[in-house]
Amino acid sequence: MKVKHLSLAISAASIVAVASFFSPAYAGGKTLTVVLSEEPDIVDPCEATRSNVGRIIMQNVAETLVEIDPKDGSIKARLATSWKQTDNLTWEFNIRKGVKFHDGADLNAKTVVKSIKRALNPKYDCEARTKFFGNISVTPSVVGSHTVAIKTKTPQPIMPAMMGIMSITSPNTQEAKGERNPQGTGPYVFGKWTPGQSVTLKRFSGYWGSTPVVEDVMYVFRKESAVRAAMVKTGEADIAPNIAVQDATDPKMDFSYFNSETARLRIDMSQKPLDDIRLRKAMNLAIDLDALRGTIFAAGVVPQTQIVVPSINGHNPRLKPWPYNLAEAKKLVAAAKADGVDVGKEIVIIGRLGIYPNSTEAMEAMHAMLSEAGFNLKIKMMETAGWLNFLSRPYAEDRGPTLVQGQHDNNNGDAVFSMYNKYACEGAQSTTCDSKVEAGIKAATAATGDKRRDTWQEVQRRLHQDIVPDVQMFHMVGFSRVNPRIDFTPSIATNSQLQVSQVKFN
Amino acid sequence: MKNYLSRRILSSLLAVIGLFIMVFFLARLTGDPGHLYLPIDAPLEVRKEFSEKHGFNDPIYIQFGRFAADLTQGDLGYSLRKQRPAIDVVLEAIPVTLSLAAVAMTIALFGAIIIGSLAAYKPNGIFDRISRVVSLTAASAPDFWVAITAILIFSVSLRWLPTSGIGGFPYWIMPIGILVIRPLGLLVQVVRGSMITALSSDFVKTARAKGVKEKAVIFKHALRNALLPVITVAGDQAAAIANGAIIVETIFGWPGIGKLMLDSILQRDFAVVQASILITAIVILSINIIIDIAYATLDPRIRHK
Repeated sequence: MKVKHLSLAISAASIVAVASFFSPAYAGGKTLTVVLSEEPDIVDPCEATRSNVGRIIMQNVAETLVEIDPKDGSIKARLATSWKQTDNLTWEFNIRKGVKFHDGADLNAKTVVKSIKRALNPKYDCEARTKFFGNISVTPSVVGSHTVAIKTKTPQPIMPAMMGIMSITSPNTQEAKGERNPQGTGPYVFGKWTPGQSVTLKRFSGYWGSTPVVEDVMYVFRKESAVRAAMVKTGEADIAPNIAVQDATDPKMDFSYFNSETARLRIDMSQKPLDDIRLRKAMNLAIDLDALRGTIFAAGVVPQTQIVVPSINGHNPRLKPWPYNLAEAKKLVAAAKADGVDVGKEIVIIGRLGIYPNSTEAMEAMHAMLSEAGFNLKIKMMETAGWLNFLSRPYAEDRGPTLVQGQHDNNNGDAVFSMYNKYACEGAQSTTCDSKVEAGIKAATAATGDKRRDTWQEVQRRLHQDIVPDVQMFHMVGFSRVNPRIDFTPSIATNSQLQVSQVKFN
Repeated sequence: MKNYLSRRILSSLLAVIGLFIMVFFLARLTGDPGHLYLPIDAPLEVRKEFSEKHGFNDPIYIQFGRFAADLTQGDLGYSLRKQRPAIDVVLEAIPVTLSLAAVAMTIALFGAIIIGSLAAYKPNGIFDRISRVVSLTAASAPDFWVAITAILIFSVSLRWLPTSGIGGFPYWIMPIGILVIRPLGLLVQVVRGSMITALSSDFVKTARAKGVKEKAVIFKHALRNALLPVITVAGDQAAAIANGAIIVETIFGWPGIGKLMLDSILQRDFAVVQASILITAIVILSINIIIDIAYATLDPRIRHK
């Protein structure tokens, strides 16, 4: 009997010992573990507009002068306490006093000017410059110890919003080269970067704002969505900001949120027969968006009427999505054909592999719907490099009529970050050139307040009803998985940043 | 032996140079890296300025001249993406893949020798039949599916193993298990076939007739002769893993050379692509030379040819 008990005890002890040896590292204590889909190449604050950098750096390590609230596009003070336009071409920002960088340097007008100049230095291809300030001439200068003037050659009425993407970095940051150990003013100090494995942050004891609850942060990187979801499920991670719809299967842990992305097919209006508006309208009428929702696309997606999401200044809420009306679509195609338009000409759908979940299936479904309306189409699914040749200028002259699968992200508060590139005559991805749209973009860009909003809304109306440059699809949703020990609700901002100071423990 | 080795090294060196030239030109046929490096919304002027600044607008022979000149200085280029010398990036990744490959191939090889030999000892016996079915299934199982299923079973349901990541022994079990499956399945088949042939050979019959012990017959006489094709297949499999255990590296978050190479190709990070291919080619050619040496050691006829 004793022997039996002894052997049982030894077996139990062995099982416990083996189990504890094998037991994986679970997230716990005041450390937050975040599993991201992509490791950043570089963690320079001026690259923080890229989501894989922004989720680590933006407002955690480095802060901006102002902060755009992605929920409604409003602008809030951060490192600047106030701002005003002093003339048509100049904005002044008052910088918060008593703020220190993680390396001990003071935040003042000089350091802010140096940081902005560094980000806009053409010797470094920082995204803050290449994406947002590429064709704007900006001259920052010191006005007082804590006052900065930002002068531009052309009026920039949304300069405060533009400063919402400009992270301020220490004056000791190296020039013209990407930083791998960023020093900002944020609530977290950059810790250790183990390439391919993890990045750590540590709470900054000298932070000017209120002390966040999370003490340490660890970011790990897993490309596969199922693995990210499994990591939160098992407790190895606390937050997976981005998982695929098919992995969002646990209502207790999974959140769906508008991710500020808008999906469309860009119609190449410069090519026959797509220069005929009847065909462009027919394409929109032929797509049964309800059939795509909850099947190929997530159930929460919303049919779009314009390229910007409702929280963006300039979104026109009065526009109605195109209804599904196959009979009307066929009628329009027949009418165009009767007028000698070559409706039988082959149109190529240029898809991009993995641009969003089920991207190939989406193109196949739309191909079937458009074919039913009488169009002659074929699909080419491409990697990003090949797809870009069709999406962006310079376009190949012999490209023929195309519909380019696209997805646009704007959570920067204002429609200006979308409209010029997509719809102006010289826009990098535009195939349309309408004098009223052009004038509207110009006027809205220079306007402020209600006039700006109204002008954008009129541009949206004209595009939606009179130009029809896109086959309109959906405002998209993203999915996050959050460990129940964490008090954090993903929002539209989660697509580009993850402010750890907003995370609490249950 | 010395001459034989010198010839092999020289021909390998020529292959590396040829490969390198080919990779340089083929990579550039894919287009301008600026298109992928810059944000989709970057203005046209910024794109032009980027290409100009980094020399991507220059004729390809000038770009090649610059590249060759840098190479003679031991400079494999600078990663535009990672803002670091490409060689540093690659040298960080290669040990990860090599350690995976070494452990996986050692387990697969020894496992296959034991299972294959036992199966060959009594062809069509119970053990042979089971091992044949299991090894054929293993050799044809898709890595991706096996990996995800393993995570769901051992990590999510049973909570025995971590889902992914690098760490102590538990972190190695699933990645190595997945990597071992295919080479083990293939090698068991090769060992079995090769051993059946060897065990029915005249020299084995002679050894048995002379009263040599069965253990010695199998492991000393038959196995040594059966190993030549096994080494060839094992070498191929090792080279395939060294070339990048992409699925395992991607799913389990191991930052190896396969994942790096794939990401660099997709991002047109030419310097990293070139450096990865050069280092991988050297590793694979080294494996081939080791195989040749093993061959020559096991079969003296080869080194005397």
